[in-house]
Amino acid sequence: MSSNFLESYLPESNTWDEMFTQEHQIRSPYKKIIDYLANESADDLNKKEELAKRLFMSQGITFTVYNSGEGIEKIFPFDIIPRILTASDWSFIEKGIKQRLKALNFFLKDIYSNMFIIKDRVIPIEMIYSCPHFLREMFNVSVPYDIYVHIAGIDLIRDFDGTYYVLEDNLRTPSGVSYMLENREITKRLFPDLLPQCKVRSVTEYPNILYKNLMSLSPRQISNPTIVLLSPGIYNSAYFEHTTLARLMGVELVEGKDLLVDNHKVFMKTTNGRQQVDVIYRRVDDEYLDPLVFNPESVLGVAGIMSAYRKGNVAIVNAVGNGVADDKAIYSYVPQMIKYYLNEEPLLKNVPTYKLDDPEHKDYVFNNIDKMVIKKTNGSGGYGMLMGYNATDLEIDTYKAEVLKDPRQFIAQPTISLSAAPCYLNKQLHPRRIDLRPFALCGPNGIEIVPGGLTRVALKEGSLVVNSSQGGGSKDTWVLAS
Amino acid sequence: MLSRVAANLYWLSRYVERSDGILRMLKIYYASSQDSIQEFSWRPVIKIYTGLDENYVKQIEFNSREVLSYLVAGKENANSITNIITLARENARSVQDHITKDLWQCLNEYYHLVKDQRLISTLRKDDPISALDILIKQVMLYYGTAEVTMERGERRSFMNIGKYLERSIQSIDILDSKFSTIDNGPDLLTDTTYWKHLLLSIGGYELYLKTYRQGFEAENVLEMVVLNHDFPRSVLYSVGQISRYLDRLKINNTITEVKELSFLVGRLHSRIKYSTIETIQEEGLHNYLYSVKKELYAIGNAVNIQYFAYS
Repeated sequence: MSSNFLESYLPESNTWDEMFTQEHQIRSPYKKIIDYLANESADDLNKKEELAKRLFMSQGITFTVYNSGEGIEKIFPFDIIPRILTASDWSFIEKGIKQRLKALNFFLKDIYSNMFIIKDRVIPIEMIYSCPHFLREMFNVSVPYDIYVHIAGIDLIRDFDGTYYVLEDNLRTPSGVSYMLENREITKRLFPDLLPQCKVRSVTEYPNILYKNLMSLSPRQISNPTIVLLSPGIYNSAYFEHTTLARLMGVELVEGKDLLVDNHKVFMKTTNGRQQVDVIYRRVDDEYLDPLVFNPESVLGVAGIMSAYRKGNVAIVNAVGNGVADDKAIYSYVPQMIKYYLNEEPLLKNVPTYKLDDPEHKDYVFNNIDKMVIKKTNGSGGYGMLMGYNATDLEIDTYKAEVLKDPRQFIAQPTISLSAAPCYLNKQLHPRRIDLRPFALCGPNGIEIVPGGLTRVALKEGSLVVNSSQGGGSKDTWVLAS
Repeated sequence: MLSRVAANLYWLSRYVERSDGILRMLKIYYASSQDSIQEFSWRPVIKIYTGLDENYVKQIEFNSREVLSYLVAGKENANSITNIITLARENARSVQDHITKDLWQCLNEYYHLVKDQRLISTLRKDDPISALDILIKQVMLYYGTAEVTMERGERRSFMNIGKYLERSIQSIDILDSKFSTIDNGPDLLTDTTYWKHLLLSIGGYELYLKTYRQGFEAENVLEMVVLNHDFPRSVLYSVGQISRYLDRLKINNTITEVKELSFLVGRLHSRIKYSTIETIQEEGLHNYLYSVKKELYAIGNAVNIQYFAYS
């Protein structure tokens, strides 16, 4: 690329740019890679982009789109320019997430046993009982080491001044970690020698830490407990992630029909008879886990698994019923939880959240709807959202009517602009909006977060939606050692 | 190993073997249709490989291109190459961590080949043999890859049991479809072109010529396809392989019921081994083939119950 290739890069106003300062100076973590890119021709970069595509395709890192009965293989869009975090930013994020998870874990323990937080009127009881993910079945279940959230994906964004905000907590079955691992492997191939030169910290420990934590949860005190990864099967869009994790940890990948429950114990059906299962890392939602307790139509789960779980004969990861803690309405109480359980000030900020079942909040939101994003409290994947700033009047009216039917199911947040990072598009660098999902692992020895995460990027110009189902892609995420 | 994984490997292998049988059969039939001065009927092929009803068979039996595209790419034909390779690939995907990467990629390529519209249009409008040859080569590549890369353990044993069970059932079906029509026209017994096609389609033509010197006789063909222990597609050879791989599985298995399965396979193997063309004729060809096929199905069911059963 020519030496003036950065001239075409135009940071947006009122947006935090990860690469440029306000004065159009390159921030220090990006200096090395910009030097590197300046020495490459556009041809070289196109070749790198091609190589990335080919690597994803040949390794089968694809998902299938079903269209008129025919399956079409697609890859998730990947941008070759990494997103870079400084050591000090990372250490702040790390502390903030640890604090938050500690409080959320206490909250889950409390809410499924003594409910002190309700008795002390920190959170109104209606908030809890109106949450569809609050499960009575989990009352007084003793889970190993009182850990409910073993794996968490906390979504972070940055406002125009660079402040980090938590957008949402994913405490049920957060996905995307395989992309964190694969993106790194591919970046190693694309930019030889650059990672060690920039002192990028490694993410490869993730499967080992997870495996060690899963081992420690085994209810039977034996040297080689049976650990399985429960997947909904090959038609699930995250199936690639399930096979990757099973392979990297060396555990058996099972589907619901491979398991059975006998005398409150879980077994897997093998060619050599049945074999007792001790730990289940499940990627099946609560609702489908046990047809005897939850959705009776479910064929993805295992009949009787909840009874084995309640008896303590099998460990389930993440714990059942975590949805009550990552509900988007309960999210607004997390800062209070941190004060209540830890007596600390929250490090990571919450995005201000308006609950639409509160008349005052509702009026404020409806009067300022062009500055608001309205979401469903239990929605995901960027579906069912209203982005006030670019919605038509008709869309707004339809959505308002929807909200008024059941206001508890909706929350509103002011539009946060999301920071922008350089992407290689059409042979040039352009700023695109990004977020960050680091993955935290909680085990008996505390919380560990591998330095990195999944950076999702909205590839459409001006778009603020980074979800892969809505035209988003991903980037490798570098955390610098110094 | 998980029962589901074993079942998936077994079916993956059965589907690939079936596709091989169908492709070879189509190639030979098409070649001989070019050699025929009368109107050429595809009826026997349609009867073996599809469940089409009589009216529809009558409609298409003389239309080569129609039959070819129905058998290779027919969406509503459950046994078309496209459909069974889609199933084979799905089986492979769900056991991706149990087969080698090479084998998975080979099967993935096979799948993309049968989905390739250019190939299908060659089949419809151009020289179908070129299209069939590409697919047949891919199956050979698959078998070579499996042979060279798969570890010699439980996984490969299940794959081979599936492969040889499918193969023996196919060989019997090919013979039986012939012999059950013979009642309608006794002169078919001496119709040498039929036997020649049959042998060509299962790759036994050259071996036959070397073994028998007196031209094409129904008895000799039968002897070779059922009783020859060196011919890789004979029923005897295939059943021998099934027995061999089931024995391998038994070594590490502690379940007592697997003995019943060995009993079934051992009995069938001996029965074929100690048959002669005379005893088969005494019993009646159709009866004999029918009872062997019934026992093969029983073995398939027993494998299902002992190793795969989802209870």
